[in-house]
Amino acid sequence: MIIRCRELSKSYFRGSLEIPVLQGLELEIPEGGYYALMGPSGSGKTTLLNLIAGIDRPTGGSLEVCGFALNDLDDDELAGWRASHVGFIFQNYNLVPVLNAFENVELPLLLTDLSRAQRRERVMEALDLVNLTDRLGNYPRQLSGGQEQRVAIARAIVGDPELLVADEPTGSLDARNAEEVLALMERLNRDLGKTILMVTHDPKAAQHARVQVHLEKGVLERTVEVRK
Amino acid sequence: MRRSRFTSIWVLVILRSLLRSKRRTVLTVLSLAVSVALVAVLQSVLFTLDSFTTNPNSSNRIAVRHKVSITNLLPMRHAEWIRRQPGVEAVMGLQWFQGVYLDRSNFFPNFASEGEYITTLFKEEVVDYSEFQYRDFLRDRNGCLAGRALADKYGWKVGDVITLKSDIFPITVRLTLRCIFRSRKPSDEMGLHFHYKLLEEGVPYMKGRIGTLWVRAKSPDEVPRLIERIDRHFADATEPTTSETENAFQLNFLKMMGNYSAMIQSITAAVLVAILVVTANTMAMAIRERNTEIAVFRAMGFTGLQVLGLLMAEGVLLSVLGGLLGLGLAGLMAGGVRQTAGTFLPYLQDFMIPGEVLMFCLHATMGVGLLSTFIPAYRAIRRPIIDGLRAL
Ligand SMILES: Nc1ncnc2c1ncn2[C@@H]1O[C@H](COP(=O)(O)OP(=O)(O)OP(=O)(O)O)[C@@H](O)[C@H]1O
Ligand SMILES: [Mg+2]
Repeated sequence: MIIRCRELSKSYFRGSLEIPVLQGLELEIPEGGYYALMGPSGSGKTTLLNLIAGIDRPTGGSLEVCGFALNDLDDDELAGWRASHVGFIFQNYNLVPVLNAFENVELPLLLTDLSRAQRRERVMEALDLVNLTDRLGNYPRQLSGGQEQRVAIARAIVGDPELLVADEPTGSLDARNAEEVLALMERLNRDLGKTILMVTHDPKAAQHARVQVHLEKGVLERTVEVRK
Repeated sequence: MRRSRFTSIWVLVILRSLLRSKRRTVLTVLSLAVSVALVAVLQSVLFTLDSFTTNPNSSNRIAVRHKVSITNLLPMRHAEWIRRQPGVEAVMGLQWFQGVYLDRSNFFPNFASEGEYITTLFKEEVVDYSEFQYRDFLRDRNGCLAGRALADKYGWKVGDVITLKSDIFPITVRLTLRCIFRSRKPSDEMGLHFHYKLLEEGVPYMKGRIGTLWVRAKSPDEVPRLIERIDRHFADATEPTTSETENAFQLNFLKMMGNYSAMIQSITAAVLVAILVVTANTMAMAIRERNTEIAVFRAMGFTGLQVLGLLMAEGVLLSVLGGLLGLGLAGLMAGGVRQTAGTFLPYLQDFMIPGEVLMFCLHATMGVGLLSTFIPAYRAIRRPIIDGLRAL
């Protein structure tokens, strides 16, 4: 299992007011899994994703991801862990506007020991995978939404992480671009063996995953295997 | 190895981030530049004036005054003893009169002095004059002698009557211009001298007393020895003396006229605080609008410290850019100072921005960059990552 959540709980605090979001959640995802996380707005999907990706900390329970008990890592260790194990895909792409496509993809590699030439090779591979080698000099504002998201996907995979987390990756895209992005993610899962956890509202998007999990009122309601 | 690789794209991110809001960056850099130029010029003035006390040029002249202060008087008989010392060419009593001509705004230095020695003591300044006119000046107890530039400024001709009302003595003198002299440079032609006897007669407590005695040594080499000898001789007198080189004396005189040093330092401090505020504001804005980007960097695995360094470098770069531009501007202004202030403050004739001031300004702007960026940058990296990602 690449992800193991045990009695995971998370509350936010507004002053002394406790807002419980996740309450004793249990979840296991095997290596190479492609899971779609669904549920009504405010049910805690993003919260769960952030906990698993190590950018937020649970209030209770234990969390093991990619072989690490995240509770045991301090902030800097956690940052290092994210750099080598997790790739992020956001709804708003979140590319760095002052860097072009190539430089955006190269960014995570600056945290590695790779040489300039090795980095270049990796960046070109990643851009090739998302079919954007001809756009590497373009800045984010010179790209369409679909292209931006593909650059963001290249950035997420360039460091070769085992786990990709995506929060509504198609939420800002039209149907055609969404299809393209979803097809790409499917390929990353199938051909490269990436484990993917994707939050989505869109049932059509969720159909691309292999398993759909439904979050409701802080716990997992049901798990559905997608038949293809 | 790893560091250098790191810095290359870092510099890219930093530079391009600064260019993202061109207008704001340009305005900030410009206001920094103007402020730094002001500080650099003021500090250089201070530095230049101060360097005169420690680095006297080779003047033959010594100023002797009362040890207590420049406003305490010396007995005229001190002059007699000094005249008898070996190595002394001449001694002349000179009293700052601070006479006002018509209106206080017409400032020029005027003195009650022993006119018979002036062409010896100040032969470098009183260079060219008519022997007849000079003799007329010596013969007329109400006569006075003035520089050409001063006479031209007020349209005086020989024979004109000039009335000076003193600001420090209860006396008004009516003088007749008898002699006009020329110097090598206009800044030395701005003084007026009349006979000390006139002051002595009009002000009872000035009888036999004088503010300063100017001593001319036969050669510059004699100056240190004479200074020492004079002060030692009068050490136990009722009126002990302090003797100093001409430059040191004039500088102390300037200081007495106004504590310019404290003034310059407080202006400098105020300007530094102002640019701190300007830079802090710019950087706070620049960082606030990048909350999401900062969160993305950190999600990707950059540590808080790395992001902090990135932001700090940006702040320092911004302020140092302003600083460098400001120093360039100061260099241009130094030329202006030479041509304007240099003509009436001879100290500033060779005015320039010294290396010490350059370094001070660079360090100060770096400090401003660090200080102004640290607080907003530190706050930014303390924010939870998820807050930054949510903020959209
Ligand atoms: N930082 C926070 N402080 C306080 N409350 C928060 C915070 N983040 C989330 N919440 C609350 O936690 C609950 C779950 O939020 P979350 O963003 O995980 O929902 P979601 O399932 O992703 O919703 P959506 O589908 O709208 O994105 C919501 O009620 C939200 O208001
Ligand atoms: Mg959400």
